[in-house]
Amino acid sequence: MSWESVLPNVFAGGAPQTAEAPMDSDAFAGFYERSARPLWAYLARVSGDPALADDLMQESYVRFLCAARSCEGEVACRRYLFRIATNLLRDHWRRPRASSIEEIPQDYLVANASSAQTDSQAALGPALAQMRPRERQLLWLAHAEGYSHKEIAEVTGLASASIRLLLFRARHKIARLLRDRDANAGRTL
Amino acid sequence: MNLSRCTNEKEVAGLLARGGWPQACAAELRAHVSVCRHCSDLVLLTESFKSARAAAASEAPIASPGALWWRAQLRSRNAAVARVRKPILGAQVFALTTYLLIAAAFLATQARHGIGWLTWLEQLPQGSTLHLEALRPATLFSSGFAPILLIPALAVLALLGGVAAYLASDY
Repeated sequence: MSWESVLPNVFAGGAPQTAEAPMDSDAFAGFYERSARPLWAYLARVSGDPALADDLMQESYVRFLCAARSCEGEVACRRYLFRIATNLLRDHWRRPRASSIEEIPQDYLVANASSAQTDSQAALGPALAQMRPRERQLLWLAHAEGYSHKEIAEVTGLASASIRLLLFRARHKIARLLRDRDANAGRTL
Repeated sequence: MNLSRCTNEKEVAGLLARGGWPQACAAELRAHVSVCRHCSDLVLLTESFKSARAAAASEAPIASPGALWWRAQLRSRNAAVARVRKPILGAQVFALTTYLLIAAAFLATQARHGIGWLTWLEQLPQGSTLHLEALRPATLFSSGFAPILLIPALAVLALLGGVAAYLASDY
């Protein structure tokens, strides 16, 4: 006797066996085309590691598809996706890091070097590098993605009142860094 | 810490969100932004982050959505299988525990009354012919092996047979 004969729906191929699948494969392909680049930008700039951003982005989409949850519209789906990615980032930061440089793969160092080079060409990179991960997250969601405090609270799991205070501090900090950098650049010219 | 906002900040944020800064902005508001720390910070940050976002998005390596869809399907399927197997494992453990308990009770009862089985076996006819009458377990019943023990023993055997048949077909 095989359980496939008893519970055929569990073993059958095709769509994921959820109560209400979030979207079909064509809808997912469209959603992916529209949301993958902003999500990667968020993960890469907040983590400062493009290779990690690749991994977390793929994992975010897989978890998004596996979740038995239907979103009301693309905006809500995108917010939910960012929430998954934010949780994955947080889990990554909580994990113990490699203690020896010899344990780090060569690709990681190459990726970080190229990332630093790219960031140094941009205006924001050096200032972002001096911010805490949580601050980078809040600033990116607020100013790059244009999310409101309520939406940021939903994505990060923080209270809306805390977002206001944390964002206020982070904005002042990064604005000061950007102005200092501009002033230093003006003096050197 | 002073968290109060500038009254024009909302309007400036709206212009930035719609892409109307600075072209669609009134001259007075532009003049205000140049002197207001809150508003100038907002403009500086939003423009910096928007350009960083555009630059990062252009670098993004995009994998095939089909591969992600397939991975998600595989993971959903494995999760469904794991969900189904959990209660089956519980049932197996329960059956085994029941069997062991009944077997232990049976052995304890037999040990208390003395093992009558051996006596009965010794009384079996030693000759070449075996009569059906000789198999009647008169000694067995008289030695304390009541029929009430026979029923749970048979039930245990049936249960064990079912479990064995399931395990044999599953693996």
